[in-house]
Amino acid sequence: MIKLFFVTDIHGSNECYRKFLNALPIYGADVAVLLGDLTGKVLVPLVEKGNDTWECTLMGQHRDIATKEELADIKKITENAGYYWVHQTRDEFNETRGDPAKIDALFKSLVFARVQEWLDLADERLEGKPYQMYMAPGNDDWFVIDDMIDNAKLVHPCDKRVVQVDNHEMVTSSYSNPTPWQTPREMSEEDLETHLRGLVGQIKNQETAIYNFHVPPYGYSLDLCPKLDENLTMAADEKIHAGSLGAKRLIEENQPLLGLFGHIHESRGAQKAGRTLLINPGSEYSEGILKGVIVMLDKKKVKDYVFTSG
Amino acid sequence: MAAVPGISKGGSVAEELAFARKASGLVRGLSMWDAFGVGFMNQGLTPSIWVMTSLGVGVYLGGNLIWATIISMILAGIGFPLVWGVLGGSMPRSGGEYIYNSRIIHPIVGIGESFGNAFVWIMWIYVLAPWTADPGMTMMAQFMGWQGLADFATNLWGMFAIATVANIMAFLFVVFGIKWFARIQKIVMLLGIGGCAVLLAAICFYNKADFVAGWNSIAQQYGSVDYAGFLKAANAEAGGAIPNTWNWFDTFGVMVAGSWLFAYSYCITFIAGEVKRPDKTIILSNLFAIIVPGVFMLWAAIGLYHMVAFNFFSATQFVDNAGSDLGGAYTVPWSTSFIGLLAMVNQNKILLFIAVMSFLAFNIWWIALSYLAFPRILFAWGMDRMGPKWFTDINPRFASPVKNHVLCFVLGQIMIAVYIFWQNEAMQGLAVTALEIFSVFGVTAIAALLFPYVKRSKGIWDASPYKTWKLLGIPVVTIGAIVDLIYLGILAYFFFFLPDPDKRLEGFTASTAILIAVLWIAGILWYFFWKQRSKRVGVDVSMTYGELPPE
Repeated sequence: MIKLFFVTDIHGSNECYRKFLNALPIYGADVAVLLGDLTGKVLVPLVEKGNDTWECTLMGQHRDIATKEELADIKKITENAGYYWVHQTRDEFNETRGDPAKIDALFKSLVFARVQEWLDLADERLEGKPYQMYMAPGNDDWFVIDDMIDNAKLVHPCDKRVVQVDNHEMVTSSYSNPTPWQTPREMSEEDLETHLRGLVGQIKNQETAIYNFHVPPYGYSLDLCPKLDENLTMAADEKIHAGSLGAKRLIEENQPLLGLFGHIHESRGAQKAGRTLLINPGSEYSEGILKGVIVMLDKKKVKDYVFTSG
Repeated sequence: MAAVPGISKGGSVAEELAFARKASGLVRGLSMWDAFGVGFMNQGLTPSIWVMTSLGVGVYLGGNLIWATIISMILAGIGFPLVWGVLGGSMPRSGGEYIYNSRIIHPIVGIGESFGNAFVWIMWIYVLAPWTADPGMTMMAQFMGWQGLADFATNLWGMFAIATVANIMAFLFVVFGIKWFARIQKIVMLLGIGGCAVLLAAICFYNKADFVAGWNSIAQQYGSVDYAGFLKAANAEAGGAIPNTWNWFDTFGVMVAGSWLFAYSYCITFIAGEVKRPDKTIILSNLFAIIVPGVFMLWAAIGLYHMVAFNFFSATQFVDNAGSDLGGAYTVPWSTSFIGLLAMVNQNKILLFIAVMSFLAFNIWWIALSYLAFPRILFAWGMDRMGPKWFTDINPRFASPVKNHVLCFVLGQIMIAVYIFWQNEAMQGLAVTALEIFSVFGVTAIAALLFPYVKRSKGIWDASPYKTWKLLGIPVVTIGAIVDLIYLGILAYFFFFLPDPDKRLEGFTASTAILIAVLWIAGILWYFFWKQRSKRVGVDVSMTYGELPPE
């Protein structure tokens, strides 16, 4: 039997990532899987006001920063929430603000730096330790991230391939069906199904397989999210299914042992689809809470599972 | 899909000093307004005004409603938002106080206390569903002159039928998911608040002279005792205890009865995992859900004191609470509740219909809120492996824990039958309020008091957005907990421990103590059963209660 610890969608949160690494010995995990989305979405310029003071907008609040201690605190809060920060003068800020290409370049440099920092930290923490760690991006993550994971020393890449986890073949896909945000890794439903079919076709034994899809299957309780209006603001009280029909069809046809999903942060839960146990551990990265699930895997069955929140 | 707090759109520049890139999502769905709605509706405006006047002034005849309301607003307004808001904002998960007590004090305490609270929510179903019949429908029948309905609602089978309909309605309001629930809540809230506002505005139209004239006219119409005769008879039945002015002791007693109006917004924490910006939303919606009912109660008190003389008002509430007809002298076909007092001066059926509808709307929504809380308590247990896996089943069509709702309905319906047909007295004696004060509010206030100081939850406290909230160097959550415990101490004293048993609002009987003990023991046994069961398959459930080091 192996103990698999699965976490997803930490979106650049330093706090969650560090908790993830620390959780492996605490939970006694044999295998740890961290799926995307790995990268954050907000960049906070710390705009200089002169005389060692700054200002910024953090979580919708304007902040005046009067001391270096406050500045250090703001940087830490920013990183822990999955955001990125950069020092800018007012002129630099105004210049960046008016140029989407500059914003994009700035984002990329900070995002890649943090992913590299994480991989280096994993190498340091996993050295000589018995557990295996797998990592793959999600639909929000740029493609350069794949190369970075591929080049890591002790973190194993698993996207778009089948890897052997003890007695189980595990197949991973970082793609999602279309979202309202047109993120880097999206496909039409038809293309996504073709892509997923190609991947699961490589599996020799579906009965013991693990499907690791970023996007959950459509129509179960793991893909419910607030409905968005035309302005991409969400309805307070209306939930819709946002999963993939292709993923649903493949799971129902092939009936693998286990399905691990993410993408829809608010739909933490577990549900059976025939013999397949489907799990989405959810995410509350911006609060610094590491949501996960530990699955006890026998050769041919899921012995049990427990959700974690740390 | 995930939220970016403070940034609602996936555009390029979303705030003055922040950039956002195109990336998926938003996490939490319920707004401040929705959260306020849940908390406010659980304060049960119109029925709670009735409890504060009838039970409060009816027992504590020298109680001053205005001062009782102001003290309640201060104590509950400081204590409850700080305790429940800080805990909810620091641990924003749906499931209520079980989450906090299990993480801060100990899982055994969390589950023991939570077992009690789960039972409390079922108790509210079997107490409040029959209230729909009596006093709800009976009051409506009396004002409308529908004698047949009044007879039906007071007959055991009639009461059971009406309570069952109320229970089914409440179940249906919640089982189809949060969208359905939130929409109906808005309608019920509008009906309830609107009705209450109309009722209070109408009361303000009349002065004492109007009231005396109205009373005597109605008395003559129904052959009942007149104004002076009523006061004399009520005073005689009360043993000459009806005072002409107020005193502080009785005012505190009225404040205690008024806890129904101020102490129940905490159920916002059952949806803590579903609200946007929980750090602000839970604390502020708790506060507003105390202030708004407080403002309505002040309005009611000022209106009632403007319309009715102090001693006469106390006399009417004494008679209403006692269910007396003053030895057959009072023959008006409606009670002397605060709505009944309005009917003495204004018999407009539309006005009275609206007023009673407000009472019924809040009462039925109270039952619906049991369906919000109980299934989420079970869901939280299930997520921590403290129950069968089906506790965590979410129906994909309705996005709600339908199986838990059905269990809640079945338990509620069985208890309604037992309560109405067999064990009315005994089940009232179980003292639902005692269970809540000691087992839910008290334990949670202690958890809040200890939150900044205990090692077990150090990581959660360090990450809490309220860590820096201090007054004179003391964390405000601790100050809030102390204020809350003072408030709860006053409640406990007046409810259960007053030297004069006739003045206690609820007796703390042997059956109360046995019930609390049985529920705690059952909860602890439940904890060990599931811990052992999980251990057999290699899962250590204690890991779900721990905090991971962030460094």
